Amino acid sequence: MAVMPSAAPPPALSPPQGGIVTRGVARAFGSVQALAGVDLDVRPGAVTALVGPNGSGKTTLLLVLAGLLAPDAGSVSVAGVDPASDGLAARAVTGWMPDAFGTWDSLTAREVLATFAEAYLLPPAVIPGRVSSLLDTVHLAEYADRPASVLSRGQKQRLGLARALVHDPRVLLLDEPAAGLDPRSRVDLRLLVRRLADEGRTVLISSHVLSELDEMVDDAVFLSRGRTVPGAGLAAATEGRRTWHVRSLRVGALQAWLTSVGAAWRSDDESPAPASGTPSSPYARPVPATPPAPADDEPGGVLLDVDGDEGAARLVRDAVAAGVPLVSLAPAGGALEQAYLALEEERR
Amino acid sequence: MTVELEDSPRPAMVGRHGPWHVTWHGVRTVARLELRQRVRSTRWIVALVVWFVVVGAITLLATGAMGALGGGTPNPSRGPVLFAVVSFLVLGLGLLVTPTLTSTSVNGDRNSGTLATLQVTLLSPAEIVLGKVVAAWVASCAFLVASVPFFLLALGLGGTPVRAAGAVLVLIAVLLAALCGIGVGLSSLTARTAGSTVLTFVVVAGLAVFTPILFGLTYPSIDSQQTVQVWGMPATGWNGTDNPPPCEWRTETRTVYHTERTWWLLALNPFVVVADGSTVPAADEPYASTSPFAALRQAVREARQGGARPVNECWSSPVALLTTGDAAPAPSTAPIWPWGLGFTVLLGAAGVATAVRRLSIPQHKLARGTRVA
Repeated sequence: MAVMPSAAPPPALSPPQGGIVTRGVARAFGSVQALAGVDLDVRPGAVTALVGPNGSGKTTLLLVLAGLLAPDAGSVSVAGVDPASDGLAARAVTGWMPDAFGTWDSLTAREVLATFAEAYLLPPAVIPGRVSSLLDTVHLAEYADRPASVLSRGQKQRLGLARALVHDPRVLLLDEPAAGLDPRSRVDLRLLVRRLADEGRTVLISSHVLSELDEMVDDAVFLSRGRTVPGAGLAAATEGRRTWHVRSLRVGALQAWLTSVGAAWRSDDESPAPASGTPSSPYARPVPATPPAPADDEPGGVLLDVDGDEGAARLVRDAVAAGVPLVSLAPAGGALEQAYLALEEERR
Repeated sequence: MTVELEDSPRPAMVGRHGPWHVTWHGVRTVARLELRQRVRSTRWIVALVVWFVVVGAITLLATGAMGALGGGTPNPSRGPVLFAVVSFLVLGLGLLVTPTLTSTSVNGDRNSGTLATLQVTLLSPAEIVLGKVVAAWVASCAFLVASVPFFLLALGLGGTPVRAAGAVLVLIAVLLAALCGIGVGLSSLTARTAGSTVLTFVVVAGLAVFTPILFGLTYPSIDSQQTVQVWGMPATGWNGTDNPPPCEWRTETRTVYHTERTWWLLALNPFVVVADGSTVPAADEPYASTSPFAALRQAVREARQGGARPVNECWSSPVALLTTGDAAPAPSTAPIWPWGLGFTVLLGAAGVATAVRRLSIPQHKLARGTRVA
């Protein structure tokens, strides 16, 4: 995994000031229990992903944290303030970006931001400068004086992000921020979000595009059917057993070596030869089980379950020692994706 | 982007508490947002032009028609009649236009995703609601301003004091402001914009159309046989040869309509409010009113008095004799317009209160079919 520094500190035992802490948050809409017990510890100065399938309660949780919805039960603390009891103070330090950001079509981007700066009671003298710098931040300066209706979806999304930042919030709640963004804007978003976190802000991002989260988050919270999944986090995802993609110049040699050391491997899709581990089926021509065909001299790869980074290091060492021409070794899919899929499997 | 993490709340936040906290800054922020959004759409200009043309055309047609009926000689009641026509036209069109300005302002914003982003700012719900009401009211006042030339035309024809025009404009403006409040309230109650628009029009129709209809429909149910004082010729009649015999009081049993029980239906009507509050002076002699406003006011005030009052049927002698008769009180001169105006303003205030309650966050209950964001 490219992003995650393994030196990321473990979740603090006593949540520091400025973060988000919830305990047992529940919220029902009529007979639908949208949230059924959310325990959240989001550290300041870090980017935390909120991951879960559709309908798992991500948006509802963000609405509760933003102070728009009152929870039926449980306690919420955003930067040390309870949005249900002291909504004004909580709103003053919280920037919320909804998944669908509507704009006033006739207003220009600059006017939209200036209006929100007024609505957040910024001193009038600082508003023009603040708006200009925000427009630069989200690369909308050249569209500043055009009506918001001509902005593309991605540009509106960036305007929505600027709007959430207008009052310099300490806690950022971003609901699907990358939806509709082009690759360049995603990189910009990643850099911006990282910088905001490095400045000491608390950032909570929900998305179900896991690959884009993978690149920017420090931590993850998994939400399933309105509950946080205990023990499922990014740390568990990086340290636990997960699937790696191993490629070799000669796939046959790799497969032979893996079989000889008793490792359970699977063929990846691009491998030319049928894997020896595949059980024969009545619909397929029976293949010789052992030894693997020496004709497998072409480059190829296999999928292999590996115990964390340490297991991967051992694998490299042993394979090289055995003379297998290794090309690459990488986790198959993002850490979040694997953790997410593992979660789905557990639920079944 | 310059970034500084503040530990202390903004100074402006101090003292901002509760959903009803209102500052001019907050109301102005929302109102300006709404007006900018509205004024820049071309629809708005078109509506204003159509308004001007319609009011102008009807005013000129009415003037021409009265000129033709007068047969060339200037009719003294031309001015007051035209003034009444213009007033009622402007009020009627205002009642049609204003609901469309506010009846989608909350649920429409909610549907387009702009409401929640405003709610999470430091503006209070009351500031958001009042900002919307003020913006809609300013917009409807623009229609009033566009009608001012036609009021001036009516004044120019004479017979109407200038203060009457002022009173009518103020009354219409207040009625439309109340209507804006009603629209915002209904808009916050209803998930769909079409629903709230229809409901607002139903309220308008209830006030402007259904009240006189109900008054008429209940008319047959409020009659009774009663003895009435009648000032008229002796029962023996007049043989037609000499001077008519002097009138005298007698007592008769007649069917009396107790409109004193239903007059309030008329009082709620915005047209009655404007007519009664217009301060257009009645003509010096009863039954000779030259202003439709004065006639309407007279009729409603008589309805308030009810049917069990002395009746003048003395056709043969000057009316002035009746008024000197001590048993024949004139209808009360107490104004009627405060009732209807007060009721409409109360409805508007209730609408604003409803909307503020609905916009207060964090929300505990959601209306059926609505989303927060």
